Amino acid sequence: MNTTILPKLCLPILFLPMLLTSCSQDDLDDLSDTLYVRHKGADMPAHLYGNASESVFLIILHGGPGGDGLVYRAGTIRSEIEKVCSVVYFDQRGSGMSQGNYSEEDISVDLMAEDVMALVKTIRYKYGDDSKFFLMGHSWGGTLGTAVLLENQDAFEGWIDVAGAHNAKGIYTEYPKNFRRVADEQIRLGNTVGYWEGVQEKINAIDTLRFEIDDFYTMNRAAFVAEGKLEEDDVIKSIDDDILGELTVTGLFKNNPLTTVWSGAQTASILVDDQGIFENLSFSDRLNEITIPSLVLWGEHDMVVPPVYAEEAFNTFGSEVKELMIFQESGHGPMFTEPNLFANKVIAFIEQNK
Amino acid sequence: MPKQLLFCLSLFAGTLYSQRAATVRDTLATPFLERTEFRAGYFGNFYWNPGLALGAEYLLQQKTRTKEKKRRTKIITKQWLANGTLGFSWDPRAEFGVFTNYGITWRRTNTKGKQLQVQVNPLGYYRSFLPDTYEVNGDDVRKVFLPGRSYYAPSISFGLGKRRDNKKLSGRYLNITYSIRTPYNADFLPAIAIEYGYRFKFKKKP
Repeated sequence: MNTTILPKLCLPILFLPMLLTSCSQDDLDDLSDTLYVRHKGADMPAHLYGNASESVFLIILHGGPGGDGLVYRAGTIRSEIEKVCSVVYFDQRGSGMSQGNYSEEDISVDLMAEDVMALVKTIRYKYGDDSKFFLMGHSWGGTLGTAVLLENQDAFEGWIDVAGAHNAKGIYTEYPKNFRRVADEQIRLGNTVGYWEGVQEKINAIDTLRFEIDDFYTMNRAAFVAEGKLEEDDVIKSIDDDILGELTVTGLFKNNPLTTVWSGAQTASILVDDQGIFENLSFSDRLNEITIPSLVLWGEHDMVVPPVYAEEAFNTFGSEVKELMIFQESGHGPMFTEPNLFANKVIAFIEQNK
Repeated sequence: MPKQLLFCLSLFAGTLYSQRAATVRDTLATPFLERTEFRAGYFGNFYWNPGLALGAEYLLQQKTRTKEKKRRTKIITKQWLANGTLGFSWDPRAEFGVFTNYGITWRRTNTKGKQLQVQVNPLGYYRSFLPDTYEVNGDDVRKVFLPGRSYYAPSISFGLGKRRDNKKLSGRYLNITYSIRTPYNADFLPAIAIEYGYRFKFKKKP
C-alpha cells in the first residue's frame, strides 16, 4: 500500500514544467507571453500582453528604483491601451522577479539602459524586425528611460514621460519648495490646516544646502503621505475600487511579493545609498538631445516628483512633436487616478506616431 | 575551594549517572529500512510558489528516557537523523524550481507522540528553470537551452509533528523553512516556505 504513494506524488511533478512553458500564446491580437532577457549576468522577465497584430510594443519602465513591471497592468493600461498595442511589462535588473549573478557594480543606470536595448533586440528577434517601439517611463523609470533615449532614441517611435525623475539630483532641493507651495495653498483653502502647518515646520528644519540621504528619505516618505492627505481632501481623485482591486491582486499574487520586495530593496539601496543617484544624477542639461515625439504626463499635485519637472521636460525636449498634459486631479500616479484621460492621451499619441 | 570543586564535580557525575540509568540508547543494529522513514508533502509559500518535497530520514541515534510518574509513565525520545530532500516549487509566472538538500535533524517526541524538530541543511542546491529566455550579446540574440540558474541553497527548518503508531503513514509534520539562494543578483535571496506532509515507512509488517 505504501509503495503507491510515491508514484502518485510524482505525477504532478511531470506535468508542472509543461504548465510553466504553456504561458505563451501565438494569437497576436491577444498576445500573452512571458520571456526572459539574459544580459550581462541578469535574467529579466518581460510580460507581453495585448494587441501585437501591428507589431507595436509599448515598453513600460517601472518606478522605484526597485519596483516591478506587472504592477502597471491595471486600469485602462490593461483594458484600453492593450487593445491598440502590446504592452511590455518589464522587470529591470535586480527588481521584481529578475534573477542573476553579478556584482553591485553591475547595477548602474548605464547597464540598466543597455538591458532595455537588449529587451528591444529580443522582441525584434522573436516578433520580427518590423516591430515598432514606444517607451514609457514612470518616476524612476523616467530617469532610466531618459538614459536609454540619450544613447538609442532611434530605436523608438516615441517617448512617454510619466512623472519621470530626469533630474533625480534636483528633487532634493525642489522638495521643500514644492511642500511650501502646496502647504500654503492648502492652508489658504482651509484643508487639513494642522497637518500642513506641521509640514511647513518640518521642512523649515531641513537644511537643503547640503545633501543628507536621511533627509531625502524623510521628504520622499512625506511626499507620499502628503498625497494621501490631498486625496482625503478630494484634491487628488481616489483610485477607483476596481483598479484598487486589480492593484491588490497584482501586488499580492501575480509575482512572489517576498522576492520582489527583497530584490527591490537591495537594488534601491545600491542605487540610492551607495551610488547616490539622488545626489549626483541629472539629465536636465541633455534633454534637448531627445528629438523623437514626446508626450509628458504629470499630476498637478505630484508631491513625489514635483510638477516643475514636467515643464522642464516639455520645454527642453528637442522634439518637434511634443505635448504636455497636466492631470488636474492627480498626484504621482495619473494612470490610476484619471485612467480614462490617461489612456486617451497615450492611445492618441501611439496612433499618431506609430 | 578544592572541596567545593570536588563537590560540584561529584554532583555533576551523579546527575549524569542518574540520567544514564533512565536512558535507553538505540544501537545501529536494526535494519536499514526500519531506521529510515520517508516523507512527502506540500512545500512552498502559499499561492506564490507551491511545490512538493520528498525526503528520507535515517535514524542515527536515539535516546529514550522513561520517568515514572504517579499516574503514568513519561517517555521522551530524542533522535538525531540524517536527512535528504528532493523537491520542486513553482512560481506561476516566473520560474519552476527544483531543489535538493541534505543535513541533520534533531527531533523530540513526547509520550503522546507530539514532536518538535529542528532540521539544519548546510548542503543545499536550487536550480531555477525559466520560460523562454534569450541571451543578448551585442547585436547577437540567441535562445538559451534549458534556461535558468543554479544556486547554493542551505536551509534551516523548525517544525512540529505527530507520530502515528501502527499506522501506514507513520507521522505528520508542519515545518517552517528558511533558506537562502546565493549568489542571487548582487547578493542573496531569502525565502520562507511552509512544509506540511506525512512520513511513512517501507518496512514490511511483521
